[in-house]
Amino acid sequence: MLAYIIRRIAQLVPVLLVLTIVVFGFVELLPGNIIDTLIGTEGIDDPEVRKILEKEYGFDQPIYVRYVKWLYRAVQGEFGISLVTRRPVSLELLTGIPATVYLALVGITLSMLIAVPLGTIAAVRRNTAVDYTAQVTSLAGISIPEFWFAILCVLLFSLYLGWLPSSGYISPFDDFWGSLKFLILPAAAVGFRQAAFTTRLTRSSMLDEMSKEYVDTARSLGLSERKVIFKYTLRNAMIPTITISGLQLANLLGGTVVLESIFAWPGIGRAIFEAILQRDYPLVQAGVLVLGVIVVVMNLLVDLTYSYLNPRVKLR
Amino acid sequence: MSELEAPNLVVAGGSGGSRVLPASVGPMARLATALSNAWYELRKSRTASIGLVMLVLLFSACAATPWIATQNPIKQNYRERLQPPSEQHLLGTDRLGRDIYSRLLWGGRRLVTIALVAVAFGLAIGVPYGVLSGYYGGRVDTVAMRFVDGLLAFPGLLLYLLIVTLAREWKAEGVFNDLILIFALGFAFMPEVARLSRGSVLAEKQKEYVEASRAIGDGSLSIALRQILPNIISPLIVNATVRLGYVILIIAALSFLGLGTPPPTPDWGSDLSSARDYMETAPLIAAFPGLAICYTVLAFNLFGDGLRDILDPRLVER
Amino acid sequence: MTDEANKKGTGRTRRNFLAGTTALAGAALVGPAAARAEARKRNAKRGGTVRFGTRDDSVGLDTHRNFIYFVSHPLAALTGGLLDFDANMNIVPGIAASWESSKDLQTWTFKLRRGAEFHNGETVDANAVKWNLERIMDPKIGHSFTRSTLSDLAKVTVDDKYTVQCHLKNPSAAFDSNMTYYPVNLMAPGSVDTADTLPVGCGPFKFKSWKRFDTCELVRFENFWETDAEGNTLPYLDGVVGKPKKEDRVRLTALRTNEVDLIDNVAYADAPSFIKDYGKEYETFPVPQVGTAFIAFNLKNGPFSEKDNPDAQMLRTAAAHAIDHQAIHEAIFNNQGQIAKGFYSPSSPWYSKDAKSWPTYDPDKAKAMRKKAKDGDAKILIIANDSYPYMNQSGELVHAMLKDAGFNATFEIHPTPVIQDKYNKGAFDIDSSANSYRLDPDGWFSRSILSTAPETIRRHGYKNEKVDQLILAARVEANKAKRLQMYTDIETLINTDLPLIYTHFVPLLEAGTKKLHGYKPAFTGPFQYAGGGLRTAWMDR
Repeated sequence: MLAYIIRRIAQLVPVLLVLTIVVFGFVELLPGNIIDTLIGTEGIDDPEVRKILEKEYGFDQPIYVRYVKWLYRAVQGEFGISLVTRRPVSLELLTGIPATVYLALVGITLSMLIAVPLGTIAAVRRNTAVDYTAQVTSLAGISIPEFWFAILCVLLFSLYLGWLPSSGYISPFDDFWGSLKFLILPAAAVGFRQAAFTTRLTRSSMLDEMSKEYVDTARSLGLSERKVIFKYTLRNAMIPTITISGLQLANLLGGTVVLESIFAWPGIGRAIFEAILQRDYPLVQAGVLVLGVIVVVMNLLVDLTYSYLNPRVKLR
Repeated sequence: MSELEAPNLVVAGGSGGSRVLPASVGPMARLATALSNAWYELRKSRTASIGLVMLVLLFSACAATPWIATQNPIKQNYRERLQPPSEQHLLGTDRLGRDIYSRLLWGGRRLVTIALVAVAFGLAIGVPYGVLSGYYGGRVDTVAMRFVDGLLAFPGLLLYLLIVTLAREWKAEGVFNDLILIFALGFAFMPEVARLSRGSVLAEKQKEYVEASRAIGDGSLSIALRQILPNIISPLIVNATVRLGYVILIIAALSFLGLGTPPPTPDWGSDLSSARDYMETAPLIAAFPGLAICYTVLAFNLFGDGLRDILDPRLVER
Repeated sequence: MTDEANKKGTGRTRRNFLAGTTALAGAALVGPAAARAEARKRNAKRGGTVRFGTRDDSVGLDTHRNFIYFVSHPLAALTGGLLDFDANMNIVPGIAASWESSKDLQTWTFKLRRGAEFHNGETVDANAVKWNLERIMDPKIGHSFTRSTLSDLAKVTVDDKYTVQCHLKNPSAAFDSNMTYYPVNLMAPGSVDTADTLPVGCGPFKFKSWKRFDTCELVRFENFWETDAEGNTLPYLDGVVGKPKKEDRVRLTALRTNEVDLIDNVAYADAPSFIKDYGKEYETFPVPQVGTAFIAFNLKNGPFSEKDNPDAQMLRTAAAHAIDHQAIHEAIFNNQGQIAKGFYSPSSPWYSKDAKSWPTYDPDKAKAMRKKAKDGDAKILIIANDSYPYMNQSGELVHAMLKDAGFNATFEIHPTPVIQDKYNKGAFDIDSSANSYRLDPDGWFSRSILSTAPETIRRHGYKNEKVDQLILAARVEANKAKRLQMYTDIETLINTDLPLIYTHFVPLLEAGTKKLHGYKPAFTGPFQYAGGGLRTAWMDR
């Protein structure tokens, strides 16, 4: 087991290297750079000034030199300064990532609250109207363009019903209960979307479990259907559901850009997106790297959890 | 079968699976049987059949667009802005006085084509990549998979954002602009396909028939293509079908973020995105492209989901 | 300009005005100590905190590095310029209590107000001003927009603690307009190390915190120099909380659900219906012109350039005939604001009402001219910036109009860095753009029309010797009426040569709750104008 973990961690290194090289390359290829923006339309395009600026921002060196330098510092946790806000990149990450993690975490939890009952009932009443309703409902969530859905939610719940604030963010560390009010709409928008996938998964793993021998044994011992389902099958069926949700969570970290923009949620997705548009290289690179690390570590944890919960799965 | 034909085979499977492939050897016949079984099974899964009916309607509308569209989709008439549905404009007019009905049809035709080609492209590069990597194993596999893992480590939309931001700067006009979008969407689908097909190859490699053909001296590449490919098609079909819906949503999200198709090309995503301003004063102009997206994505999802149930061997037995 | 401002009229010339303020400033100089002693008298009844929902957020905190085009970023309240302007867009004393130019218009002397302080207690003195101007001129630091306003500045000298002199390379009658807030924002020299994290300015509000895309908090600066008519210190407000909400619909909803008290940028699509349906419950503040939209041709190369096409002028005229300004007015601006025939709108003292108009909409003529002109079938690329909806929507409409006239046009929308790249490479034919408001016409003509100006060279490359002569002559003309006539002549030439076609004055609608009093936005937004904006606003408690 330990050997496996060590090997997996060793494998992460090349993965992250690929990730950073790809990001570096992409950003380099984008037309227009920060120097052009700094010189602007009204500035005199003086070659001297350009040279000064290129030196100031390190663009006088070839790309591989810049990459190696960046990597060397990044490994030590130094991500430099955002070219746009001129604040340390680590500060931007530290404000953006918790906000997005908070949104994603609660969103996933909500999706489980929707999906597990739906998936279970769909499995238990397989091929009945209940099953189809459950499936179509969950699929509807993933079929709506999320920005449209989000704005409709704002209009309905904030403007017409007046139940919830339209947008904004309060850090849960500052005021946990106060933050929930602002969280509900965006988290519900996340949850509703993710629920489709989780419902499907819950349904099929429930079906899997229900076909196993122990279920028949339990039934023959005279246990009630309800008890069989809730005490045994559901519990086992939840294993893949929970672990897969871990993967979804990691993936969501860069997947809430649109919602962050609508709900004025100061998350990392939007920060990286704006940084791409503004060619704020240090923030793009550091942001993608840190999120990438979270993704691969989550993947590893999911694998480990899965094998722990389900010892039949062998880790190789 | 040569190496070059391999992608085509999968593309044919991916974009509908109804084309009958020249059955040369056993696996091909098996595929044909699988497909005919699938057709039979399809009628048993209600979700799949609903999805299929919806898709047939969608494809017919796309095919018939030149005949059933009533107006020029890009013709503006600002004197007739934001009109409610009428005889002349079946679904009314948008913010620049264009006919929404005709825009929906032309936009759908374009969008569905883009989605199909993009997914096909993703399969066309992902499948050979994954199959070869899985089949050769060893160092080739390690290197190839680290690259894929690196791409997969991009969370959520970020890979799309980077690729599309970059790709849209490439000099291109007219249809080629769509090709760039197709490239971006297809390329971002590649890692997932590669993973999936590699996994299936690894599973199939253990099986007896592969061992057997190796024993009779069949070359390794031809084994990879002939023996294994047909057996990994069903998870790919399911994945690709669901992906078609996802691609449409991505296009919509990109439009919202300002990275969509530039006007005046009819595009559901950008039409919906620019109708945001009128969501309170003229909600219908947002409703139509929005509902069109919902309908299409739901159709692909229902169909894909139904297929999954049907093709999943564990579930079929029950 | 708001209604009240229009009523006052714009009769006074700047020279007269200058004389008046100099006298006034003399009085101010006599009694700073006395003023100081009885100062800090507050109107205790007025206060409160305004929650301000804006479309955009600032990108950084260092006022010299960042371009505060969106002057409604709350962070803009931190800084102040050497001079202010009033509701009639006249330049009035700010940090400088009086100012004058030498006869040759090459040396400008500013006498500073005594007792003005930065938020950290540093005195705003001549050395601080010099330091600020020099820092802005440093190409490594100053934003290009800000720097360009000082391109005439050769050096700054300090006469005494409260007198600063600016020596120009070329004479300019308009230099004082460049000393107003945005472009020139003053920050405390002692705070330079924290400029990016803890900015210290001399504006009406002090920095408290900024969380990007989330909140910025500002509190009243107790020692702000300005007072109201009764001698109470300004601003009244205890603080301002900025809430950037990018999505128009969400921002408007936030106002109606009492999450914010004031919003900027009510979408043009919403403006008329909002005023009609909610005008009773909410205040609306029209800011008639924050800039002017136009489409510019690429005269450096391609079919619209004389260099590559002898018929370029005819082709541009054909394009002008194809453009239906009324359609832009209705479809993009939803009948808000006005169609532009020059850079300055009727609400500006520099409105050129006698300038000859661009060729009017005549699709048949457009088609005929295009067919006749060489390269009439050439491929044409129209570009627009993605950050401003009206720019790319105008581009979309212009694209359709040119298509109707038979032009072989394509349309692309890009973010700023790509647009810059296309300007630099001349890789476009038509640019749907706009320019933000310049107080003095020299700010527009010298920077964007004069053939030697960097922006002219980079963007359209217009060159007409007559126009250049007029711009340079107007720059040194002290008589306002004569000056206006010169600018009117220039606009006539522009509308004939067509390096660009003015399309529309960009209006802005702000809306706020009825609880907000004493508020009136200036043309550059809510903050920096004498005796107005958020300086004189207060909230019901």
